[in-house]
Amino acid sequence: MRIWSSEHVFSHPWDTVIKAAMRKYPNPMNPCVVGVDVVDRNLDSQGRLHSQRLLCTEWGLPSLVRAILGTSRTLTYIKEHSVVDPVEKKMVLCSTNISLTNLVSVDERLVYTPHPENPEQTVLTQEAIITVKGVSLSSYLEGLMASTISSNARKGWDAIEWIIQNSESTVS
Amino acid sequence: MNSVGEECTDMKREYDQCFNRWFAEKFLKGDGSGDPCTELFRRYRECVQKAIKDKDIPVDGVDFMGPSKSKTEADGSS
Repeated sequence: MRIWSSEHVFSHPWDTVIKAAMRKYPNPMNPCVVGVDVVDRNLDSQGRLHSQRLLCTEWGLPSLVRAILGTSRTLTYIKEHSVVDPVEKKMVLCSTNISLTNLVSVDERLVYTPHPENPEQTVLTQEAIITVKGVSLSSYLEGLMASTISSNARKGWDAIEWIIQNSESTVS
Repeated sequence: MNSVGEECTDMKREYDQCFNRWFAEKFLKGDGSGDPCTELFRRYRECVQKAIKDKDIPVDGVDFMGPSKSKTEADGSS
């Protein structure tokens, strides 16, 4: 098992970042996400919005890894649960893969909050727990996946920026 | 963005558009009333549920809020 974590600061207020985060796909930085569906959505008694989404992604695993894992299948489904609290100004998003689970599990958690000292900025903290199961070299593979997640995280931040730049003229 | 069910993509786009407007203009601004997109969502969701079933995507039975969960759903060990 390997734990990866990171923190990123956006130079935009929380509302702007959350709007972009909710409509993050499609974007040019994450072409691997090929489908997104909302499977359930509701407001709870505290006025928080819960969304369950299903993401279909092409995992960009190197062919060597695919060979070791013994799978040629790279289409992976991910289930995601997000909670947006408009009063507390907090968005929490948890995701996990629901296919290839006998080989690997990647659990991610992202939290978006306003910067404690500067309301014009937003802090994103994220962590991922990666577990590769039942193969030798699993710690090598976990390291590899952690570096993939690391580079994907950077793409995710760029994606949010891209959405913000490209949606200002349409909605807001 | 496409839906996992190609046939649902138009419904999804229509719903997303409705939802995104409500989310930005009402929800984030503190208007606690529900979204006006329920009928669009009902149709879209029905379509997606069918696609999920047809494609055998294992969405049910995965409780994933937080890391303390078990993924022993698929016990078809090989």
